[in-house]
Amino acid sequence: MTTGTEELTHHYSRQFNEELEAIRARLLEMGGLVERQLKRSLRALVKGDSELGEKVAHDDYQVNHLEVSIDEECSRVIALRQPTASDLRFVMAVIKSITDLERIGDEAEKIGFLSSRLAAQERPENRYKEIKHLGRQVREMLHNALDALARLDAEAALTIAQEDSNVDDEYEAIMRQSITVMMEDPRSIRRVLDTLWVARALERIGDHAVNICEYVVYMVHGKDIRHVSVEQVVAEAGVDV
Amino acid sequence: MSRSAWGLVIVRLLAAVGVAVAAGLVFGQPELWVIGVLAGYLAWNLYHVYRLDRWLRLREGTRPRKAIGVWGQIYAEFHRIRQLNRDRKKRLNRLLKEFRKSTSALPDASVVLNAKNEITWRNDVAQRFLGIAKKDRGQKIDLLLRDPDFIEYLRRKQFDRPLSLRSPVDSRIKLTIRIIPYGTGQQLLLAKDVTREARLEKIRKDFAGNASHELRSPLTVISGYLDNLEADPEKPDSWKEPIREMVVQSARMRSLIEDLLTLSRLEASSSATNDEPVDVRGLACLVRKDALAAGPREGAVELKLESEAAIRGAETELYSAFWNLVQNAVKYSAPEGVIEIRWWDDDDGGYFSVKDTGAGIPESALPRLTERFYRVHKGRDRARGGTGLGLAIVKHVLQRHDASLEVTSELGKGSLFTCHFPRSRLVE
Repeated sequence: MTTGTEELTHHYSRQFNEELEAIRARLLEMGGLVERQLKRSLRALVKGDSELGEKVAHDDYQVNHLEVSIDEECSRVIALRQPTASDLRFVMAVIKSITDLERIGDEAEKIGFLSSRLAAQERPENRYKEIKHLGRQVREMLHNALDALARLDAEAALTIAQEDSNVDDEYEAIMRQSITVMMEDPRSIRRVLDTLWVARALERIGDHAVNICEYVVYMVHGKDIRHVSVEQVVAEAGVDV
Repeated sequence: MSRSAWGLVIVRLLAAVGVAVAAGLVFGQPELWVIGVLAGYLAWNLYHVYRLDRWLRLREGTRPRKAIGVWGQIYAEFHRIRQLNRDRKKRLNRLLKEFRKSTSALPDASVVLNAKNEITWRNDVAQRFLGIAKKDRGQKIDLLLRDPDFIEYLRRKQFDRPLSLRSPVDSRIKLTIRIIPYGTGQQLLLAKDVTREARLEKIRKDFAGNASHELRSPLTVISGYLDNLEADPEKPDSWKEPIREMVVQSARMRSLIEDLLTLSRLEASSSATNDEPVDVRGLACLVRKDALAAGPREGAVELKLESEAAIRGAETELYSAFWNLVQNAVKYSAPEGVIEIRWWDDDDGGYFSVKDTGAGIPESALPRLTERFYRVHKGRDRARGGTGLGLAIVKHVLQRHDASLEVTSELGKGSLFTCHFPRSRLVE
């Protein structure tokens, strides 16, 4: 009798583990999709490929679709399994991460849309050099954040979160530069404004990547580090980690 | 364990019991003597079991080898087996080390996956190309290689074709990924850096396209002036013939360049992007009209349209393939020769064929027919105004439509070119 119950609980927990693993796999699949959307939207901008830009804007529904289905799976797991401790933290972090990933998808969609609009206009002489640079930085941040999520590596997550200030600085620089360009040549205002929207979207994506890093720390250490300065967290985590 | 050793055990035991009985008879109370001797025997055996157990489990104390009788033999046997295992382990370890050293030296990233797609081993190049670190052992590969194309590839489990992917670490690196299943559910993932090859291939394709394109504009200028010169009524008579020849040759050159451009366009992508149903009957009528318009000929161009089916594909490409076939038929048969265009289908798919009653093609030439610039009769074919690229274009177009070209020919009687489209490409 006892062995029977034992087997039963063992069986359930194994199935539960598999369910959590499946959720993790789908979460990172969504991450991969979002990464590709961002990559394509930036390529559309730099190459002036309006068709690709439209494709990115159109493909956003895939990201949304994944968000809804992962959300449902998480609710189901909470309702049926009543996870506790680290399992609960994991499910909560997944629910939050997919929201951020979905927002990143929206920003990529916006960049795609703006790219197809910008493709119709004259391209600036520097061929979006700054945007390209910022884009590469943000893409790397997102990629590393998702890697940290896959590896549940809180230390890496903290390092990535610290990089966000570089992205913010870069965004500031682009803004200042854009203002100069607009004052010099008012005819370019429309184009520069659109470009600025792209930079803004990239900056937002950086923020969402930081959020994902924070969820990783929460998942691993059970510590909520939102709205706390990164230095403080590192100081605290240095003791804790 | 030899049989004699066991015999000895029994003999010894019996002897001990005998001695006990004898002692009992001499000193009285033989049962107690027997019990005492057997208890001593049991204690001795238990002692050796205890030592063996401690030696095996705790590796404690020296190897208890010296013992009389069966125990000595058991110890020796254990020792031998253990030595054997140790040697084997050493050998395997050395082999494994060498294997890992050699795979680490491979220029390709290699990752060993188990049946659940978890990483069990990887070499150092995998870090550089795929970003898979040493600590990722046990991690599922699709959590780290998240490109949707790769996930799809892994899920479909059809590994006969490699997958092209950009490195997640450095997007300038182009990789081809191969997964080789082996053993029980194990998989070996190999990623090869093909950045250089991809660039060379692109340069080669671009060159053909660009060169043709660049040649076109000067040629347009030349033929423009030639047309003017030809129309000029005041030109000396001695110039008439050379100018006419120049006009003919520049027209030939133009068609050559057009064909080269078509070919490089076809090569740029591997499959037809358009997937609209193409009305083959209409296309056949159009091709026939063009053939009749190309020049006066006595022989008929017959149409036999036996199928209603349409082909899924790109209309302009199919037109250029069919037109090239018909053009060849016109070119290589006598003016009074009959040309037959036929379109029919059966269970295996659709067939578009062009039959002529021309000179025919020698058997030795058939395999090389679709090569670029290949000519059966060097001088004669050029005089007829062919570019030597027609059948190469036909072959490329058919490849892009999953179709094949079959050629049968008889010298002096004529040739039959048949395009075979698979069932999956037909629309009823």
